[in-house]
Amino acid sequence: MNVAITSRSFFGQALHRPTPFLDFLLPSFTIPSSRTRYAPITSSSASPNTEPSPSSLKSFSSNKRRKPLSKTQREFLDRGLRVNQAGELAATLIYTHQTPPITRAHPHLRSLMHRMYFQEAGHFSTFNEMLAKHRIRPTAMYPVWSAAASVLGWGTGLMGREAAMACTEAVETEIGGHYNGQVRVLLGWVKEMEDKGEEVGEEVRELVSTLKRIRDEELEHLDEAVGEGAREAKPYELLNRVIRSGCKGAIWISERV
Amino acid sequence: MAAAVPLLHTRSYSLNLFGLISRIQELDRGLMNNDYHKATARRLEHEAPSPFSPTEDAILSAALAHVPTHGFTTTALTHGARDAGYLDISTNLFPTGAFSIVNFHLVTQRLALAKHASSLQPHADIATNIRSLALHRLHANKPIAHRWQEALALLSTARHIPTSLRELALLSDELLFLAGSTTVTSAWYTDRAALAAIYAGAELFMTQDRSKGFAETEEFLTRRLEEGEKVRGGLDMVGKWVGMQAGGLVDGLRSKGVWI
Amino acid sequence: MSAPTLSRTSTRLTHRLLNPQPPYRCLSCCRYLAQSQEPANHSGPTPTTHFGFQTVPSSSKQSRVANVFTSVASSYDTMNDLMSLGTHRLWKDYFVRSINPGTRDCEEGKGKGQTILDIAGGTGDIAFRMLEHCTVVNKDHASKIIVSDINPDMLAEGKRRAREGGHDHSGRLSWLEANAENLHTISDNSIDLYTVAFGIRNFTSKALALREAFRVLKPGGVFACLEFSKVNNRLVEALYKRWSFGAIPLIGQLVAGDRESYQYLVESIERFPGQEELKGMIEEAGFLLPGGEEGKGWEDLMGGIACVHKGVKPLG
Repeated sequence: MNVAITSRSFFGQALHRPTPFLDFLLPSFTIPSSRTRYAPITSSSASPNTEPSPSSLKSFSSNKRRKPLSKTQREFLDRGLRVNQAGELAATLIYTHQTPPITRAHPHLRSLMHRMYFQEAGHFSTFNEMLAKHRIRPTAMYPVWSAAASVLGWGTGLMGREAAMACTEAVETEIGGHYNGQVRVLLGWVKEMEDKGEEVGEEVRELVSTLKRIRDEELEHLDEAVGEGAREAKPYELLNRVIRSGCKGAIWISERV
Repeated sequence: MAAAVPLLHTRSYSLNLFGLISRIQELDRGLMNNDYHKATARRLEHEAPSPFSPTEDAILSAALAHVPTHGFTTTALTHGARDAGYLDISTNLFPTGAFSIVNFHLVTQRLALAKHASSLQPHADIATNIRSLALHRLHANKPIAHRWQEALALLSTARHIPTSLRELALLSDELLFLAGSTTVTSAWYTDRAALAAIYAGAELFMTQDRSKGFAETEEFLTRRLEEGEKVRGGLDMVGKWVGMQAGGLVDGLRSKGVWI
Repeated sequence: MSAPTLSRTSTRLTHRLLNPQPPYRCLSCCRYLAQSQEPANHSGPTPTTHFGFQTVPSSSKQSRVANVFTSVASSYDTMNDLMSLGTHRLWKDYFVRSINPGTRDCEEGKGKGQTILDIAGGTGDIAFRMLEHCTVVNKDHASKIIVSDINPDMLAEGKRRAREGGHDHSGRLSWLEANAENLHTISDNSIDLYTVAFGIRNFTSKALALREAFRVLKPGGVFACLEFSKVNNRLVEALYKRWSFGAIPLIGQLVAGDRESYQYLVESIERFPGQEELKGMIEEAGFLLPGGEEGKGWEDLMGGIACVHKGVKPLG
């Protein structure tokens, strides 16, 4: 599986679907099926324990009326899911290109890198399915983001473990914050619908829980990256700032283009 | 053994995996394919409201019935207004005049494709579905085919070009979606652009086709779609070849100890 | 006399010399004419009446009123030209063209003309254009136009212009003095087309006028209004405001000697509701708006300086 991961992004599409067929190529480590908790050095702004979880997310109520999403809501979802897919594409490519130099220099990081990669690949395929299902167009900057993410991953990988982890930290901070914002907006919709006595659809419920799960996993990656020495990267401030502003810009562009 | 490990990692196992990966891709696509899209098409059919108000719908559909006689003109629109029970002056409801009949025809025929999608072959591949749907859409132009050049002239005027391009793009998207395409990479754009060009060419061809049942248009469309597939496949292959060559080069250099 | 008046008079004199026409009735000229035309032999004292602060013979009052009005109306035209730099003619032409009045030359349509009501159109600007459009463009010789105004003097001016301009040989124009908010002489569902150009901002209650319009129109009939509106572009809006508040009252003072009226005019344009609000009022009155779901429901002219709003009365 190591070799499969080092393959170029041209094979990316198929590889980014974690399938049971490829498991036999991973002899020496386990792919965790449940989240492993690490002591967070930085905590997310809304931890799962303190997040509001409206009752409608848990139960069905069939006697309420159901309204289709409004135009602004639909546009928000279009933009949001488009950005999410672009973000996961970038994340998978960064990990793909960071892994060879990092694992060569630090073999003990192989399991961490592979686990993070697999989770990102899972997120990517989730969003690919959502886009296809809801007829959302992907960002037109797809090839540009692919190239940029590949170069970023390769570059930071060559710069060393700390730089690679700093890159991961920066990207995950932005992405985690972005998902958090989306979850907040969606929970706001759910509350509004409940207040008006409308039935919250199954799809919205599923979307909220999926986004929450993905956000939590991204924030986990953030914590793990910090734990592996992200803050010790030599031009830490520069790397952090440049990558974060690059991510912000990419998010802004992907929402529109 | 320790020396063998780096070699194991750096040799391009990707070559062996390649066949396996494309097979997985095909299986995945097949699983997601037609059943899912048919269900979605059925759902869309029930959900999507018409973009025209009831009055506009009444007048424009009546006007469309007069197009074979009067063409895409304000006369047809006036006749439509009268048939629907309105006055001549009621055509003021349509600031774009005769173009509103063209727009109505384009939009209603595009939305009607969803109904046809349920009658597609259950396990046909995407290319066959595209051909079937595009032909169905072309045949919908049959009653007004002899007047379609007027419509094309209206569509090409500067004022209406944004609308006509948007409708073509929406039609292309609808055809691909109902055919079962699930690409969400940059191929989303290239596929749609290619199909829009092919469809527009076939529509233009149809305006001067005098064969029985528009058989020549059908052949034209089939030929263009096949060419499109060939080009796409060819480009894909070239891309993959280049990728593999580059991968091989990088792996080879790494095995020599170059820090890349 | 001031410079503008001198040059105006000399131009007109030249024009009259080259093209003999009915005498131009400026106020001072017609007073002179009236005096010179009074018959020398009249027995006994003549009945007199008031004319402003003057006392004049009754028989000449009508012509004096008409003459007063003529001078106002002619400077009113000049004022319109100066304020909008001549574009008000373009707007009115476009308005009539886009409405396209008149039954189209179709087999079933021949012989059945439309009944058109032009509100606040006393001087006949829109009515004459519509008549010409019906006759010349649509070959419709049957449509009739009712020109209505709250002010009888404006109607009188309109009638004079119709006569002099040769606009109505076949009696297709009729004149009605009425308040747009109460068209009690017009029966329900009798009008095909209701137009109002630069008049709706002077109505006391636009909602009442719209309701009356809805009442008198036939199902399928069209309400069309041309009015000043809010400018879209910020830069153009700034320039336009400077022109309106700076230049127009000044021109009114110089040309017509009436700064206050034109100040009022400019202020009323400023206070008039914008495109969205007027569109909402038209919709509330029950009209269907053109342009569909995604359409705006109005048409801006020259970036929003003037705007055409239309509505169609639904069937049933």
